Amino acid sequence: MDNSLRQRITVLLAKAFTQWPVLGRLWSKVSPIARSTDVPWTPIAKPLAACRITLITTGGLHLRTDQPFNMDDPNGDPTFRVIPSHAQQADLTITHNYYNHADAGRDFNILLPLDRVKELTSGGYLGGLTPSHYSFMGHIDGPHVAALENQILPALLGKIRRERPDIVFLTPA
Amino acid sequence: MGLIQRAIEAAGFPTVSVSILRDVTEKVRPPRALFLRWPFGHPLGEPYNLAQQFTILRDAFEFLYAASPGEIRDLPYSWRRHTYSMPTEWKL
Repeated sequence: MDNSLRQRITVLLAKAFTQWPVLGRLWSKVSPIARSTDVPWTPIAKPLAACRITLITTGGLHLRTDQPFNMDDPNGDPTFRVIPSHAQQADLTITHNYYNHADAGRDFNILLPLDRVKELTSGGYLGGLTPSHYSFMGHIDGPHVAALENQILPALLGKIRRERPDIVFLTPA
Repeated sequence: MGLIQRAIEAAGFPTVSVSILRDVTEKVRPPRALFLRWPFGHPLGEPYNLAQQFTILRDAFEFLYAASPGEIRDLPYSWRRHTYSMPTEWKL
């Protein structure tokens, strides 16, 4: 099957999943994902008011000035974009053809709640935010899975280690 | 997303996530996940609904301290049929 046809089918499926979430749930029931045998675990060590947070979404959010995610590759795009903690609604956009992001486009906090965690920090309930937050586009298939594991994740972990968050909060699209 | 979460937790950083597809989350087994039977694209709810967004954040933070490894918690909120109030207790 050629790439443009595969891509069109993927987009149609994704639109159907958004329209009828039950299809997405059926797909997830039969998807051939191997079950992990172990669970990594790091206990939380500090009270919330002393914790600095990093936010990550797979909703395709990125700075308008940044390179958009690649929607032409039927295997998706394994790369990520940095979103600085000072980003405002007008600075951000979403490149993602596989879900309806009209609502997230109006208020990115439903994907990446930067404003909410800033408000919690101002109120003294949360220790603060790291300078960098991250966004992926979620669709990562074929050879990109190995790229994610061998190149992209080590690069992400390098950045996270430099900023040392106490909490990392992740949201899907 | 679960792969990313697992890698971050394994590197020594506590993580918590929102899941929209429970069956996938059950297979990938991230350290801590809150399941919401909500439409895609809305992990914290609706635009500008601050009470709803803060409710999910509050539940995520509470779960960071309460979860056992690999636990998936089903949140009781039905999409749009739940009336959200601003959470007041944040001392965790």
